[in-house]
Amino acid sequence: MFRKLKEYLHDVAYIWRQEMAQIIRDEGVLIFLVIVPLGYPLLYSWIYNNEAVHEVPVVVVDQSHSQLSRKFIRDCDATPDVKVAFYAEDLDEAKSLVSRQLVKGIYLIPSDFATRLNRMEQSTVSVYCDMSLMLTYKAIYQTAVIEAGRLGAGLKIKRGGNYTKREDAVMVQPLAVEGVALFNPSGGYGSCILPAVLMLILQQALALGIGMSAGTTRERNRNGQLIPDDDPHYSGVYRIVSGKALCYAMICGVTSAYLSMVVPRMFSFPQLANGCDLLLLMIPYILACVFFGMTVSCLVRYRENVMLLMVFVSVPLLFMTGVSWPQSSIPGIWQGVSWLFPSTFGVRAFVRVNSMGATFEQILPEIRILWIQTAVYLGMACLVYRHQFRLARKYAGHESTAVSSSECSGASC
Amino acid sequence: MKYLIQIRDIALRELHILMKNRIYGFCMVVFPLVVVFFFTTFLDDGVPLDLPIGVVDHDNSSTSRALTRRLDAMQNSRVVAHFTSVAEARNAIQEGHIYAFFYIPRGTSEKLLAGRQPKVSYYYTMTCLTAGSMTMKDMKTIATLGSAAVGMGTMQAKGFTPQQIQTVLQPIRIDSHQIVNPEGNYNVYLTTVLVPGIMMLFMALLSAYSLGMELKFGTGREWVAKADGNIVVALVGKFIVHALVFLLVVFLFQYYIYGVLHFPRLGGAWSIVRLCVLQVFASLGFGIFTFGLMPSLRMSMSVCSLWSVLCLSMCGSAFPVMGMDAPLQALSWLFPLRHYFMLYEVTVFNGFSVIDAWFHLVGLIAFTLLPWFVLRKVKNAMLTYVYVP
Repeated sequence: MFRKLKEYLHDVAYIWRQEMAQIIRDEGVLIFLVIVPLGYPLLYSWIYNNEAVHEVPVVVVDQSHSQLSRKFIRDCDATPDVKVAFYAEDLDEAKSLVSRQLVKGIYLIPSDFATRLNRMEQSTVSVYCDMSLMLTYKAIYQTAVIEAGRLGAGLKIKRGGNYTKREDAVMVQPLAVEGVALFNPSGGYGSCILPAVLMLILQQALALGIGMSAGTTRERNRNGQLIPDDDPHYSGVYRIVSGKALCYAMICGVTSAYLSMVVPRMFSFPQLANGCDLLLLMIPYILACVFFGMTVSCLVRYRENVMLLMVFVSVPLLFMTGVSWPQSSIPGIWQGVSWLFPSTFGVRAFVRVNSMGATFEQILPEIRILWIQTAVYLGMACLVYRHQFRLARKYAGHESTAVSSSECSGASC
Repeated sequence: MKYLIQIRDIALRELHILMKNRIYGFCMVVFPLVVVFFFTTFLDDGVPLDLPIGVVDHDNSSTSRALTRRLDAMQNSRVVAHFTSVAEARNAIQEGHIYAFFYIPRGTSEKLLAGRQPKVSYYYTMTCLTAGSMTMKDMKTIATLGSAAVGMGTMQAKGFTPQQIQTVLQPIRIDSHQIVNPEGNYNVYLTTVLVPGIMMLFMALLSAYSLGMELKFGTGREWVAKADGNIVVALVGKFIVHALVFLLVVFLFQYYIYGVLHFPRLGGAWSIVRLCVLQVFASLGFGIFTFGLMPSLRMSMSVCSLWSVLCLSMCGSAFPVMGMDAPLQALSWLFPLRHYFMLYEVTVFNGFSVIDAWFHLVGLIAFTLLPWFVLRKVKNAMLTYVYVP
């Protein structure tokens, strides 16, 4: 009994070492298992590092030429989000500036702007936005709304005929309102999207790396098989699966620590995670990703095909995590599909732990699903490896009989 | 004439390869169509509707209940839960049940009537920007309207006319024009860039793949020999098949979004055709160029896939390029999808003249011509390199 266990552990360790040696020798695998998890997050962080767009250029068509319209323009220009880059005589001229990508929007102040205000009538400011970019549209539109409200409040106070400042304040806003953005107070794009991207990179890089490594093994093998038939250590499905998984988990353990702790700190993205909770989340996530990758790796024949399979799904996977499109608005069919991938729950749980400071209890449902996925993908990995194992044995059997028969014929000759 | 016959022969040979290796069929037709189906169904709502939010109502008055009801009636928000405390509501956000909550403290309506300016607050999570900003907009509107309702009541009592009341409440109205995409439809906004981006990924990846496979199976020499050693003819013959299949898929996609789903656009049909043709040839050019730089199947494919995935961020459709650091703004020119996006935005979406996007037109043409620099390397690779797994 003990000898069997010892032999088993010995084989596992042997396969672990073999796999590790193969990965280090293979630059294609190294790129995905090491370079991509190390380098890609830095690139993405750099891209999104500025978090928000400031000083979006707009053109103003001021047909009012009044003190009030100039005040409105000055106020808009003074905000961090909008910059008045041009003045145009009419809308056509302004439009030509939009077409040349010099500005992203137009503020049109009609000629009766001040007249109407002074007559105590409602006046308008027209805002025309280039809708090809949502962030610039929001900046241009919201700035106009806020500044118009502020200018209007000033006019209200002037007309109000109140005696005290307090009366003015109550008149302008009988019900005070305070909005608080939680967990990502500046509403930064990077802080929102990056935690999800980090976790997704982990899964995708692992699946690509494992797939490539499996492809290499097949191509090196004389029968095109995943499991070598001439090595006595590769004598059982479980030791093969656990040996390989240990190797991948080991590499992934290091890269995931880097992704979940170092990168957010380097670029000062929100990081509220408690170390223990993070660990309890990352263990099932890494395991689920490893077994997921191993299952996928058996599906591909040529090593490069895994790239054709896995790379393009990254974008749909990111959408299915519910970070860029709210989870509650994801259609049912895609909610169902999203359950197949560890990244869906890994990302959701990580965002909550890391960006929202959720505790272990609060992400328990996701953790449970990740453990279920780990178990299911472990089972599937064992199944597909058993299939591969049998194939390898079959080919080896064929070959040995072929060899022995040829030897026989040689001897008889 | 000789060239044409050679091209035809090589094209037929390529067609045979495409039919034999199933992965081509999947990557050229099936996966792109799956991606089209994914994005168009995923974003079918256009804007996120009925996002779950909560209410912490400590006031329990008819005013606070009216606020809650109005909030529930907003298009983007749905009140799914009432909480007894702010901590409980925050818990619900952290557990992912709601995106935001509205807090009405005790004594709000009482203070409101007495003119003592009570304060209501709304909290929203910005870990999902779309959900956060949508719920924020709704809650802000409701709070502002609540404020206005009080002012309106006071002024009605004082005998103002409705017009005067409107003026006092909102002296300056913003008249918003969201050009081309008036409802701010995310399907229109995202599908038109992400799907072509993924298609371009396949185009570049497959052109590197198909060249690499010639090396891997040692058929490169035979392929070049078919063109009498003329690598230009060999490349044209090989990739004309790819280009035609991809053009078909791309046109199908464009027909689907503009013809069936009626995505808004101001540009004419020709601007779409021009964009599609440039898209296909620029991507193929990029793939061939990458292979020429690194004539190894795995390296060129790795670079193509990493580059193309970066394209989706660097094209600046989600986070604008002008918000990035200056070096990145210059680097964005090296990404084909950036030029595609700009050309699309100027000529198809906004319907401006192509001269306004001449730089990006030239950019795409430049990507198409890139293989010219590596013609000799590709030929050399085909004739002399040996594949090492």
